[in-house]
Amino acid sequence: MNQQRRDFLKKASLGALAGIGAMAGIIPTFALEKTDTSVFSDRPQPGKTRWGMLIDTRNCREGCSECVAACHATHNVPDFGDSKNEVKWIWKSPYEKAFPTSSLQLPSRQLQELDVLTLCNHCAEPPCTKACPTEATFKRWDGIVAMDYHRCIGCRFCMAACPYGSRSFNWQDPRPAISEYSDTYPTRERGVVEKCNFCSERLVKGQQPACVEACPGKAITFGDLNDPASVIRTMLGDNETVQRKPELGTLPSVFYII
Amino acid sequence: MIMISGIVALVLLIAITLFRDDGSTQTGPSELGPAAPVDSSMCIASKEYMQAHHMQVLDKWRHDSVREGNRTHVTPDGRHFDKSLQTCLGCHANNRFFCFMCHQYANVKPTCWNCHLSPMESSK
Amino acid sequence: MIEKALKGNRAYWAWVALLLVLIVSGLSAWGRQLSLGLGVTGMGRDISWGLYIAQFTFLVGVAASAVMVVMPYYLHNQKAFSKIVIVGEFLAVSAAAMCMLFILADMGKPQRVLNVLRYPSPHSMVFWDVIVLNGYLMLNLVSGWAVLGAEKKGVAAPSWTKALIYLSIPWAFSIHTVTAFLYAGLPGRHLWLTAVLAPRFLASAFAAGTALLILLSFVLQKSAGFDVGKEARMKLTVICAYAGVANFFLLGTEFFTAFYSNVPSHMHSLQYLFFGLDGHGQFVPLMWLSLLTGLGSVALLLVPRLRSQSRWLIAACSGLVLSIWIDKGVGLIIGGFLPTPLDEIVLYMPTLTEISVTVGIWAIGLLLLTMLLKVAVTVKMQD
Repeated sequence: MNQQRRDFLKKASLGALAGIGAMAGIIPTFALEKTDTSVFSDRPQPGKTRWGMLIDTRNCREGCSECVAACHATHNVPDFGDSKNEVKWIWKSPYEKAFPTSSLQLPSRQLQELDVLTLCNHCAEPPCTKACPTEATFKRWDGIVAMDYHRCIGCRFCMAACPYGSRSFNWQDPRPAISEYSDTYPTRERGVVEKCNFCSERLVKGQQPACVEACPGKAITFGDLNDPASVIRTMLGDNETVQRKPELGTLPSVFYII
Repeated sequence: MIMISGIVALVLLIAITLFRDDGSTQTGPSELGPAAPVDSSMCIASKEYMQAHHMQVLDKWRHDSVREGNRTHVTPDGRHFDKSLQTCLGCHANNRFFCFMCHQYANVKPTCWNCHLSPMESSK
Repeated sequence: MIEKALKGNRAYWAWVALLLVLIVSGLSAWGRQLSLGLGVTGMGRDISWGLYIAQFTFLVGVAASAVMVVMPYYLHNQKAFSKIVIVGEFLAVSAAAMCMLFILADMGKPQRVLNVLRYPSPHSMVFWDVIVLNGYLMLNLVSGWAVLGAEKKGVAAPSWTKALIYLSIPWAFSIHTVTAFLYAGLPGRHLWLTAVLAPRFLASAFAAGTALLILLSFVLQKSAGFDVGKEARMKLTVICAYAGVANFFLLGTEFFTAFYSNVPSHMHSLQYLFFGLDGHGQFVPLMWLSLLTGLGSVALLLVPRLRSQSRWLIAACSGLVLSIWIDKGVGLIIGGFLPTPLDEIVLYMPTLTEISVTVGIWAIGLLLLTMLLKVAVTVKMQD
């Protein structure tokens, strides 16, 4: 390349850079805004809502799965009939599977036969939202770990990150596996991850989550953990509760009375 | 050398632009009360505006309600609506072919109905 | 220069034809996967990453291993590596390309892949992995090609290539560290939740990558008469041997911490992989094959009298690559998911579609490597 061309290119690029720098000042979209760092603080701030759930296993009836049926029906959760493709938002697990790091030596008879509800814990410090490369799963203002199905690329990193096995992936088109559509909530597509959403669409209408409403034994209590006057806080104050894998520091929002 | 430092500066500028807050931070506390009642006397905007801009409206609604908790849309004349597809379908689902009439003609296939239940499918 | 890849003898074209057949079959399998979904693979709710991510993890290591020839040659002026550097760089390009193809094949919604760039998430290791992997591919491709082009014209390489090459050295370490961080920061997966994962990744990468380079050097000698030089090969063999020692030493430390501490969460995955757990042991034979082959190969590589003989060297390198491929692929990825967070064991059976896509992507990588090396070898042998 001859020297004059070289010089021209050098000056032109400098000019372009200067131009972009000037534009940055004039056109707002290019302005260098201060980053809002509150998105990086992951402990719920006092004063803001933090939704939580208390499951009283003493009132949870053996053989009953009304909560599962209600949740899966209202959210169009598909039933593929096999454990490989299974999609589940809430289900019952044996105590020693849900709490594998608790003491499992010489358990009581009650504990040996106990099934507990397992679902997304909506952690205050979720490893899954940290893992997501697109923030398709993110922690909402109200503590709910939300899924943005429009943005999810299906990489399943969040599934690897979740220490509780709460997340499911749509390995196939879910629609053929939905027996009856409910029009309270959309379906999902093949290729995205899904999980319990604490019924955020019902909360917006002032309703309790579907599982809470469906439970015949009133075993599930749902409320604002940040409100000291809420029913759930009162119950937490009056009862001894446990959480799943607390040693991992995830600060789950789901509590259990065993 | 000048060119290389210039290119590095350009790359940094672009990187800073990309990394700045993209607006997905959560704003104030959400409204947890019941959603605004549907005012079905009129659509949220004129027919001409909606025909031209409904996709932008839906895109903004989607971002606001899923990611920001800002669920209430206020029209210029002060009416309140829930930012949800159900707001539209609440009225327009009377016509099973509401979206499809135009989209079929225009040969535009948005993927909404892969998940959302279309007027053709919902039980209404 | 690319036109040099379009001239070859019968053996060359037969090899390319074979690769094309495998690629077409892989594409057709991928088409099936695109239309039916990832359910056509052996992955499921409990083992949500499988063969594809296993290949990705192994190949990131191979890509990073180019630094084992680039660093001695460019940073420490080890002139013996002059002929093998370009082979290493192009191997890195091919491996990095395969990595990205495996990620693409593994995604539930590949059409949304650009969301990773549209919504940058610096807290996510996958985000950084996408960036550094792409950057590394570009670095090696551009600098390797430019240096090769200069050599073809008989002039010195432009000075900016030096900057890119120096950058590629720490960058190589970073790509595999970031990949290790993908796994090592997840609190629920105890096989992965260890600080030693990143060093282990680097050690196994340098062992497998250099072994592959040595094997490649034999292939190039046989097929093109291109001799990288006995000194280069011997130096590389020593690097490979010590990297192999480091790899198995680190594996040993993992075993110690797990079994001496007796902490169930530390032990269970290793127990499942190597000894079986609760009557389940799908991978036990494979893991022992990997361990014994690997140890045997490293032992061979440490004996100067044996490693200087071609057939022992080839056997040892092949064994080491196989061993690390099993360990990093099947062992690490599948084993990381078992026992599940709810303490269960599930079987993983890759399907034909899944294997077909995997072989197809390997074939694409090999075709890219073949073409790049054809150019490199032709240029380097022109005088």
